Amino acid sequence: MLEIKNLKATIKGKEILKGINLNVNNGEIHAVMGRNGSGKSTLANIIAGRDSYDVTSGDILYNNKSILNDTPEDRALEGIFMSFQYPVTIPGVNNTYFLKAALNAKRKHQGKAELDAVEFLDLIRKKLQIVGMEEKYLHRAVNDGFSGGEKKRNEILQMITLEPTLAILDETDSGLDIDALKIVAEGVNNYRQDDRAIVIITHYQRILRHLQADHVHVLIDGKIAKSGGEELAETLEEKGYGWLDN
Amino acid sequence: MKFLEKEIKNSPLFGFDKSDNVKSLQLDAFKEFNRYGLPDKSWEDWKYSDFSLLNSMSFRFGLRKNISILPYPFPEIKDSNQIVFFNGYYQKDLSSTSDKISIETIDQTYKENPELIHKIFSPKTNPFHNINSAMINTGLTIIIHDNEIINEPIHIINYTSDIDEPIMNHPLFIMKIGIGSEASIVEHYYGSTNREYWVNAVTKIELQKNSSLNHIRLQEDANSSYHIADTEYILEKDTQLSAFHYASGASSYRQNINVNLNDIGASSSMNGLCLSKVKQKHDHFITVNHLKEKCTSNQLFKYVLSDAALGIFNGRVIVKKDAQQTDAKQSTRNLLLNDKAAAHSNPQLEIYADDVKCSHGSTTGQLDNNAIFYMRSRGIDFKTAHLLLVNGFAAETLKIISNKNINKYVNDQLSYWLENTGITK
Repeated sequence: MLEIKNLKATIKGKEILKGINLNVNNGEIHAVMGRNGSGKSTLANIIAGRDSYDVTSGDILYNNKSILNDTPEDRALEGIFMSFQYPVTIPGVNNTYFLKAALNAKRKHQGKAELDAVEFLDLIRKKLQIVGMEEKYLHRAVNDGFSGGEKKRNEILQMITLEPTLAILDETDSGLDIDALKIVAEGVNNYRQDDRAIVIITHYQRILRHLQADHVHVLIDGKIAKSGGEELAETLEEKGYGWLDN
Repeated sequence: MKFLEKEIKNSPLFGFDKSDNVKSLQLDAFKEFNRYGLPDKSWEDWKYSDFSLLNSMSFRFGLRKNISILPYPFPEIKDSNQIVFFNGYYQKDLSSTSDKISIETIDQTYKENPELIHKIFSPKTNPFHNINSAMINTGLTIIIHDNEIINEPIHIINYTSDIDEPIMNHPLFIMKIGIGSEASIVEHYYGSTNREYWVNAVTKIELQKNSSLNHIRLQEDANSSYHIADTEYILEKDTQLSAFHYASGASSYRQNINVNLNDIGASSSMNGLCLSKVKQKHDHFITVNHLKEKCTSNQLFKYVLSDAALGIFNGRVIVKKDAQQTDAKQSTRNLLLNDKAAAHSNPQLEIYADDVKCSHGSTTGQLDNNAIFYMRSRGIDFKTAHLLLVNGFAAETLKIISNKNINKYVNDQLSYWLENTGITK
């Protein structure tokens, strides 16, 4: 589904990614771990299409097609979703309106009929239950006055509403207490399907106790230093990243 | 301004009561104006709004015209009492009111209350106010009787269209809200022409004790026009004013606003929204006077500035010595959609009392790129993301409009403006 080939990228002239190779197949969960500044979020943002980075070489293929020249909205419509490490507050834009606009843009792209207000509310109420959010959050501006945990749940709410095929979760687990972490993990498990894939970017092993990752990768200084199975995460938890430093 | 001198005798109200009193009031006002002339950049209060170009132009009063059907496009507000002026002329057949309201022409008001008119026509520091007194050719007095609740808004439409030469209008609106009464009045200026014209309006609003008023002023004159306005509010004891000032029209717009909180317990909430593009200049000059104790005032003015537009905000809150326990807030926010657009904001506080709560603030910024990327990453296209953000910024000011039909009208105008404002990558 996702094939990253020797990806190199810079921000303001500084090289952050120094040749990333990664293959993600349908039905798989991949965890990308690493220290702050190792390039994890850069990788997530480049896949989602943020234009503040310059890709200097390599390619990203999604369903066998390069997406490097696609706009962020085109990537989203094709099924790529990124849960933000720091979800953005959008004052004055109502959460319901925002979600409905996003969902209907996608439905339109898929040639499906757009949902009206009643149909949408029906759908969103069910999704709210899954992530344990109260309905009042729908009536606020997007992420406005939300706590850290509420923002992350709102990200998962968007994910399970938009039903992407590839979900990149950029540190969705950081800043969550144990209960919130469980709910988020449940949301992700709920979303998991054979024709979907998930890339989890995280510092910690703890979310991986709730989700079974098929592959774990360690990113050090813009490169994948080691890949393995779940046991790699456990080793990291035990020994720290220093174990992989040269 | 030679054209004014020539035209003053053609003022439809000049000598309307055939007494020399009013004539002399008008001529005195004109003399007062001539002492200083038009403001230019050297006048501190007018430094960003240079209207000296009016000197080189020539405007006349429009020709009397009675129309039998509403002009198109007509800015209708549902379920309101319409009072229609066309090129400055009152259209009785197209207007409707209620018996809870008295409508008078300015000359009738003069006959009944000459002191009021004397006061209005007396020399003012705003030169355009003096011009209005000298040239007054249109307007009305609206009196809401005591203890009346008027549910349907009164919608005054000053429509300019179908003109062959540059015309000018100097309307005077007097609005008096009786003791214990409630009303909503929309003072609306609307133009549909490519010709130049000049509106120079004065509005005097008095809220008698225990009354409340929603005053919505909509300036949607044609982009070929110049619009200058002076609006004064007088709030007596325990009154409530909710005012909304909207401007999207005119090439140059200057709105002076004076709020006088004259007596204990008066409260004024005022929001403003300017939508400016191309080379439009939208300028607000606001003074809020807290004269007595326990009054509150709130102001929120927002500017959305596109292309090479210029937004100017000068707001002064003055808290007099007697105005203890004043609660005053003032805030102005500018959103620049373009590198060429500019904003000048100058909020000021002058406080002479010691037990007060006052705050003011001003911000200028651009659209948040993170928010745009966030929306795009959810599949919302570039243009829609921009529209949603700008709309979210602007729509906050509309919350002050409680009447749903007026709110809908302004909301529709905002959407239309946004749809037709160039947003490019």
